[in-house]
Amino acid sequence: MTQEPDATVPEVTVTAETAASQHTRIDVSGAAAAPMAANRADTQTVFHCDGVHVYYADFLALRNVSLNIAAHEVTAFIGPSGCGKTTFLRCFNRMNDLIEGARVEGSINYHGVELYQDEVDPVEVRRRVGMVFQKPNPFPKSIYDNIAYGPRLAGAKRSELDDIVERSLTRAALWDEVRDRLKTSAYGLSGGQQQRLCIARAIAVQPDVVLMDEPCSALDPIATGRIEELIAELKTEYTIIIVTHNMQQAARISDMTAFFSVQANEMGQRTGELVEYAPTSLIFTNPDDPRTEAYITGRVG
Amino acid sequence: MTEEVRTEFHQLMDEVRADLVQMGGMVAEGISAVTAALLAGDIGGADQIIAADDELDLLSLEAEEKCVHLLALQQPVAVDLRTILTDLRMISEIERSGDLVTNIAKAVARLHGVELEPRVRGLIDRMRQQAVKLTAMAMDAYAERDAGLASVLNDMDDVLDDLHNEYIVSVFASHELGKMEIQHAVQLAVVGRFYERIGDHAVNVAERVEFLVTGELPEHLGANRARARREQDEM
Repeated sequence: MTQEPDATVPEVTVTAETAASQHTRIDVSGAAAAPMAANRADTQTVFHCDGVHVYYADFLALRNVSLNIAAHEVTAFIGPSGCGKTTFLRCFNRMNDLIEGARVEGSINYHGVELYQDEVDPVEVRRRVGMVFQKPNPFPKSIYDNIAYGPRLAGAKRSELDDIVERSLTRAALWDEVRDRLKTSAYGLSGGQQQRLCIARAIAVQPDVVLMDEPCSALDPIATGRIEELIAELKTEYTIIIVTHNMQQAARISDMTAFFSVQANEMGQRTGELVEYAPTSLIFTNPDDPRTEAYITGRVG
Repeated sequence: MTEEVRTEFHQLMDEVRADLVQMGGMVAEGISAVTAALLAGDIGGADQIIAADDELDLLSLEAEEKCVHLLALQQPVAVDLRTILTDLRMISEIERSGDLVTNIAKAVARLHGVELEPRVRGLIDRMRQQAVKLTAMAMDAYAERDAGLASVLNDMDDVLDDLHNEYIVSVFASHELGKMEIQHAVQLAVVGRFYERIGDHAVNVAERVEFLVTGELPEHLGANRARARREQDEM
């Protein structure tokens, strides 16, 4: 798969004018080519999170998370069930807005824009920050229409759609398998193919970031291997944040790993927290925090 | 709230640890036994020691097989990964020390009938003492995961190095006074070198223990020089 010449990281600009308008504009037109980061010192920060708390009504689900997500890297979130890793992932495209009573405190800054300020349009955020879910969830439509759906909504011309569909499916390493049956139902694909279709659908609207919530947990090892390979290729164009229960998967595919843990209070309420955030190679050879080590070596259930 | 979820894996690692401690113990006992045989000119005892090295070789192989098995099947990470890597390196160090004990044993027959001066005998016994001490300390540091204990071995090895130098001087002084044939003096010098090498292997074990505990690879002067040169070339 080759990188498209127009693949760039959008610059997000907020001017006094735009900030004052009803929605903050996220400008993709004057995008400068992103330098491929040779080392971490040069990497551009996509998300800057500072003191993030997430509540579901009165219940504190995630406490005080501060970390930066670097561009063109794969960042993995690992940790036991209930540690808040999926909750945190869903903060990045304001998916938690859809849950009654969910509230995010603290700062999540996306390319200089406060994601949770009132002026920001969550629909626009979700176009820039796509998502792939645990279970493949194609629309009950043809393969073609699954991919074309988002671009059509975004106003793509009919004449552009064929190109977008082919390009997206090619990037998701699915084109050769489906090119002759684009008009057939997406439900006819295997589980692994459906998941790659969902990845193709996510990238069809040219997002900046792709969030993945346990994208391989319903797949067999071969299909998992294909998705992992795909993730490695996609990171040249996109920033990827992945939640996984499979620690070996996090070790194989990610550049940075965040380990979350969970603590119960005297009422039995379980609140997640970030324990350690470091380069993946360090987390899996010599983690700093004994809780990380205990978890990844299986000494704590 | 500590709940073990990979019990079998960790039990297997503990087994390898016990195997290595046993092997280290065999080497330490071997050093004393072979020294007794050397000082007594006991060829029969030396032959027994040579035969016993087969057992150490077998244990080394079995321990290595277990490590390969653990790496292939358990995907160890963090301290588990460092432990198995340390075990693999240590197996070679201990096995090699066992070979050095065997080499000393082989020298017993070659030195048969050679009268050793009291000073040379005394130095051999002190080298034995130091070699046993270093080996036992390295194995204790490993068994107890004691990086502090491991860190003192390098300095302690200087004692053995000094004894070795003193011993070489004494052996050749004996020869110069006409009390020993040159081939016997050379044979004895080589024996002294075997003790000194056993100390070096104990220091290597201690370095690996420090890596196991801290995750830091040992400082290496030569490697540092090469790294500095490489960085200079890149500038």
